[in-house]
Amino acid sequence: MPAADAAGLTLGDLDILQELLNIAFGTASAELAARLDHRVVLSVPDVQVIPSVLLRYYVGAELKEQRAISVVEQEFGGDFHGSAFLVLPASATASLLALLPAGPERPAAERARAALAEAGKILIGTCLARLAELLGTAVTCGPQAVTVEAQRGAAVRPDLFGTGNPAVVLRTAFNFGHADVPGYLFLASSDAAMRWLRPALHRFMTQYE
Amino acid sequence: MTVHNILIVDDSPISRKILRACLPRERTFAVTEAGDGRTGLQLFRDRPPDLTFLDLTMPRMAGLECLAEMKALEPRAVVVVVTADVQARSLSRALELGAAEVLRKPPTREAVAAVLARVEAPPGGPDASR
Repeated sequence: MPAADAAGLTLGDLDILQELLNIAFGTASAELAARLDHRVVLSVPDVQVIPSVLLRYYVGAELKEQRAISVVEQEFGGDFHGSAFLVLPASATASLLALLPAGPERPAAERARAALAEAGKILIGTCLARLAELLGTAVTCGPQAVTVEAQRGAAVRPDLFGTGNPAVVLRTAFNFGHADVPGYLFLASSDAAMRWLRPALHRFMTQYE
Repeated sequence: MTVHNILIVDDSPISRKILRACLPRERTFAVTEAGDGRTGLQLFRDRPPDLTFLDLTMPRMAGLECLAEMKALEPRAVVVVVTADVQARSLSRALELGAAEVLRKPPTREAVAAVLARVEAPPGGPDASR
C-alpha cells in the first residue's frame, strides 16, 4: 500500500500539501536569499509521502552522484510534529560559505557547521512556521543537529519513529548563482500527526469553496 | 476596460482552483487554464486574454520567461504574477519585465478584487472618464 494511502491522504490531499509546502518553502527561500543577498533560483518542488524506514534509501538513490552530503536535523512540535531534515550535497556548503558574510576567524569545519546551521535554521524554521500558519496552527522547533560531509547513508537515522510511519518528502533544487544544488527537505512524522494533517488540509481549502 | 477573458497559468491545480475561487462571484468570467508556461503562452497567442494570472516557478518554461514572451507579443497585455517565490529580486524582476502587479500566494478574494478594480479603472484615475 503506498505510504500516502497508509497516511490517509488522497491524491487531492497531496496536491493541497504540495501547494502549501511550495508556498512555505518560497517564504523560507526568500529569507535565505535576503541573508545571502543573492537570488535563490527555485525549481518546481515535488512532494511525496513515503515510509520513514525507506528515507535513507531514498536519499541514497536521489543523491547517488554525491559522495558526501551534509544534513541539518531538527525536531518540531505541535499538532503536526516530527523531525525535519535538510539534506544538501557537500558541495553546497562551499556555496553557502562563499555567499554568507564572513564571520570571525574559525577553523574551516566550524565555519561549515555554522553555515549549515544558519541555512537550516532559515529553511526549516521558516518553512515550518509558514506551513503551520497556513494550516491554522503553531509549531515549535527544537535544537539542531548538524552533520557535515557524512556518507549518504548516514542522512537519516534508521530508528526514526516506527518503521511504518510516513514521511513527507519535499524535493527541490536551489541555484545560488552557480551550479544547480539539489536540496531535500524531509518531514518525518508520526501517525498521529498525519491523522491531524488531513482535516487541516481540508480546512484550508474550505475558505476557497 | 472590462475584464471577461482570464488566463490562469500555474502548474498547481490547487493554485488554479484557489484563483478561480477568488474571482468575484457576482460576475461571470471566461477562464482558461494552463499547467505550464509553454502551454500558457500558446493559449495567450491563440486567444489573447483581458487578464493573465501567471505563476513564476513552473515546468516547461518558467514564469519570467513566459512573461517576457507575452509582453513581446503584446506590450499592452495585463499580466499579474501570482507566486510563492517572494524574494525581493524575483518580484522586482517580474515588474521590470512588465508585470502589472505581483500577488503573493495564496491570494485572497480581497486582493484579486482589488487587482480587477485597478485593471478596469480608466487610465488616469477614476475621474478620467467623466
